[in-house]
Amino acid sequence: MVQDRPKRLVNGRTRVVPVDVEKLEQEAASALEQADSLEQLEELRVRFLGRSSELKLALREVRDRESGMGLNALRQRLEAALEEKRSTLEHAELQRKLMAESIDVTLPGESFPEGRLHLITQIRREVEDVFLGLGYMIVDGREVETTRYNFDGLNMPSWHPSRSPGHSLFLSDDVLLRTETSPSQIRVMEAQKPPVYMISPGRVYRRDTPDATHSPVFHQVEGLAVDRGISLADLKGTLLHLMRALFGEKRELRFRTHFFPFTEPSIEPDVSCHMCDGAGCPVCKQSGWIEMGGAGIVDPNVLEFVGYDPEEVSGFAFGLGLERIALLRHRVPDIRLLWENDLRFSRQF
Amino acid sequence: MQVPYTWLREYVPLEASPEQLAERLAVTTAEVDRVSWRGVADSEGNFDNFRVGRVLEAGKHPNADRLQLCKVDVGEAEPRQIVCGAWNFGAGATVAVGLPGAVVPGGMKLERVKLRGSVSEGMIMSERELELSQDHSGIMLLPDDWEPGSRLADHFALGEAVLELEVTGNRPDLLSVYGLARDVAALYKLELAPPPGTDPKMVGDERVQVSVEDFVGCPRYVGRLFRDVKIGASPPWLKARLSGAGMRPISNVVDVTNYVMLALGNPLHAFDLERLAESSLIVRRARSGEEMRTLDGVDRKLDLRDLVIADAEKPMAIAGIMGGEESEVADTSSSILLESANFEPVGILESSERLKLRTEGSNRWEKGVDPYLAGQAAELATELIVQLADARWVGHADIQGELPARPVVHFRPERADELVGVEIPAKEQRGLLERFGFEVAKDWTVTVPTFRARDVTREIDLIEEIARVHLDEVPFTLPARRAMWGRLTREQRLRRRIEDTLCGLGFVEAYTYSLVDSDPNPKAIRLPDPLTAEHALLRTTILGGLISSLERNLDAGNEDIALFEIAHVYLPGKEELPAEPVRIAGLTRGGFARAKGAVEALYRALAAPEPSFVPAGELPFLHPSKTARVGEAGWVGELHPELAPGEWGAFELDLSTLAEVCEDVVVYSDVISFPAVKQDLSFVVAEGALAGEMITAAREAAGADLRAMDVSDVYRGSQLGAGMKSITFAVAFQSEERTLSDTEASSLREKIVQALAERFDATLRA
Repeated sequence: MVQDRPKRLVNGRTRVVPVDVEKLEQEAASALEQADSLEQLEELRVRFLGRSSELKLALREVRDRESGMGLNALRQRLEAALEEKRSTLEHAELQRKLMAESIDVTLPGESFPEGRLHLITQIRREVEDVFLGLGYMIVDGREVETTRYNFDGLNMPSWHPSRSPGHSLFLSDDVLLRTETSPSQIRVMEAQKPPVYMISPGRVYRRDTPDATHSPVFHQVEGLAVDRGISLADLKGTLLHLMRALFGEKRELRFRTHFFPFTEPSIEPDVSCHMCDGAGCPVCKQSGWIEMGGAGIVDPNVLEFVGYDPEEVSGFAFGLGLERIALLRHRVPDIRLLWENDLRFSRQF
Repeated sequence: MQVPYTWLREYVPLEASPEQLAERLAVTTAEVDRVSWRGVADSEGNFDNFRVGRVLEAGKHPNADRLQLCKVDVGEAEPRQIVCGAWNFGAGATVAVGLPGAVVPGGMKLERVKLRGSVSEGMIMSERELELSQDHSGIMLLPDDWEPGSRLADHFALGEAVLELEVTGNRPDLLSVYGLARDVAALYKLELAPPPGTDPKMVGDERVQVSVEDFVGCPRYVGRLFRDVKIGASPPWLKARLSGAGMRPISNVVDVTNYVMLALGNPLHAFDLERLAESSLIVRRARSGEEMRTLDGVDRKLDLRDLVIADAEKPMAIAGIMGGEESEVADTSSSILLESANFEPVGILESSERLKLRTEGSNRWEKGVDPYLAGQAAELATELIVQLADARWVGHADIQGELPARPVVHFRPERADELVGVEIPAKEQRGLLERFGFEVAKDWTVTVPTFRARDVTREIDLIEEIARVHLDEVPFTLPARRAMWGRLTREQRLRRRIEDTLCGLGFVEAYTYSLVDSDPNPKAIRLPDPLTAEHALLRTTILGGLISSLERNLDAGNEDIALFEIAHVYLPGKEELPAEPVRIAGLTRGGFARAKGAVEALYRALAAPEPSFVPAGELPFLHPSKTARVGEAGWVGELHPELAPGEWGAFELDLSTLAEVCEDVVVYSDVISFPAVKQDLSFVVAEGALAGEMITAAREAAGADLRAMDVSDVYRGSQLGAGMKSITFAVAFQSEERTLSDTEASSLREKIVQALAERFDATLRA
């Protein structure tokens, strides 16, 4: 709008206005063009729009409405042009200033406190997330257990070595620190009807003297699925899914026969070595396979113990050591590092 | 269990290589730790370089007192000159010779060498050099009927692969070469040789004076008597097998007992009859105060529960575990009473654990040896003793209690398919079970063989037999679900949020042992028999573990130390089992204020209302005047300066208490639409006044429109007067409904000033 009006006015009124609008505007335009500092710009403002400028004087003199409008329009155009130039100059000035502020971008950033989850927590969550995705619930079991849940319910015969104080840590004849996370299976099954899909991560205890691969306290995750028609094939698919989540999509899984009192058939799952892809290396002792815990079909005695009918439902169970995953996957050479909490170690992961 | 490969092949005509077999067995039968090699390497004709030699001449080396210079016939046109360091032979001896070019165990290659000026064209070998035994006292003397020049490998297993199996506790039948052969024969569909051992003719009719007092502990006892026994060294083939199986050859009779144990799985024992009082044996429990010295030279106190084999006077062996030194077979023994018995497993296991004595024998007994095996074992042993020790077998006794019946199980092949997840034709399942030794009737009634009777008693156990052979074929599926309800519980979600928040605040998560050496709670549960004194108590607080970790980090020179741990603590109560609440503990640089800041930040992150902080007095591990209770959830404080240099803040909170105060759902409140009126209010109060209580009082007085009131400064100065302090609060008044007018703000402020004046005698500073 501001640009339209003066044009019309200029065309119609140049002869009757004492100021030569066109000339003044050209003069101002060329002066502005040449200005290259804010100081010069201020001088131009005084010259063209200042109190004693030609334009201001003419405006003061003007008597007719049309000339007034024409001069005012010129004033506005000059103001706008000045403002535009100011903005350009200011921007250029800032740009010059910023260019002079160059920094060494290779200097370190400001430090923030670096918190970190323990490696075992990170792995525990990965495992939990896999099974949450499969629709399992997560159970935080108790660590001080009765022999009923730690042994009897798990079909451990009275003579089983882990019942002896030589292998396990007892508080009394009937109470001990759980030797595996399996007792929570029994508690969950006692408390609910099938189907059951659960995992239970947590601390377990053995009478083991600490060394590079043993700790009297370590972490297991227990898994249990009891439903109609559960088979070894379901166990195999589930564990393959977990192993691929933990060790990469290229992993393969095989079963080897084994023996555990609480499962029958019992197997040990092997995962193809993530270091050599099964070709053979020191990590897998040249076999291409790495042992990953124990598993099997839940023994009918265990199902009967909790009041389930083994003809009606079947189940699989597995147990894995979380430390073992940490040692294998992250090549941690000594399990004790996981308990020392040296920040230099913890912050690596 | 170490299984020499050629021994295994004596019972089953297997073509597969040891490595192939190992791979198969690992999946179906038992883990194979490794395939090792005993003896001479069998590569590029190496066996041909080991020959039988006959010493034609032997005499002192002309230039060396300790060496012999021999001429040895090794089946060639000319005898070879060999220099030898041993002196236990002379001309006429039959010896084992390694020719130049032979690679001996250990990898050294023999060469034609000059020793003290005389050429030696080979080496006369000792047993140790051939890995037949540990004997290196002299060279190995061979039977004189061995043809000079014949290959040693044609007389005994000069070198062979050894499978090192890790047998699971349910398969004691695999703790024998024959037992393994039976599984291998079934897997590979090969014919199994009949069990080794056939009784020779008995040449005499002496009474064997054995009796069994305790048939529970000893359901069967076969005793056999031998006279004119010539104790001596075992032949090379036997030594090779024992060495391959990891046992040390000792003498022919002892070696036979070990050999039979390895071959069939039934441990045996041989007594020197002349050392037995009244030449009799009785199987009974030990009597009060009885002791005996076992073969390893250790005096052992016996327990009334220990089963022993005693003579008329005292124990001569701990049944199934170890024999006694007194009646041990010695070089001079000539009458032997051989025991081939069966012992009940649990009793042996318990005695073995009580005595802390584990042997090859006890290892088998405790897992359960086939009670029907003792007869076969006696036959094999008798055959070998007669043959190898030139003995006369003169007496036999077989005392039997009630031997267990064979389990009978009904089997459904379709049930196996369901549980294994593979369809296996019924005919194939039947064939498999039969090859494993099960009798399968037309109607699928299965009778279990005696050697599997302990392990296989139910249908599911038979299904395992099918499964283990088909494990590689099991497909990968997921359960066909009809219901899904997997999700984190509220506490689990909360716990993750706490973990993440503390990480965000710079805390590094620590894991410390739940078993500790000391605990501030005198009622903390003490393990009656801890692993070590350092792990004797179940902790009631996590802080102790964090302090140890702090020390380790300080020693390491680490900076910016802040640790947290979330774990169970164990609180004894009236119940049988302790309560196991989950606690969140933190330890950080920066003293009380920093720990409190972390707790406050945590509460905010959990959208929990700010807790009260009430002075808590003295607490374990903490500075006695810098502690506070945090609501009902726990405490925050400063570490006692004696525990670590510098100022360290600590807290411990209970997870489920925190969960109780957390809002499940945070409901929106309008903190945006209407501006807050912000003011600083400074009050002069007595030193004892608590800022937190002043804020509580102000909130009560001003109501909900007092949006925020935070301490921004605490000042002490002489102009305030002794025992006085000034607390400045940054106060914000804000309404959710309208913009507060100046009058309203002043009125709120006046309410606060009045309330604090009344409750704390506080005066507003100008």
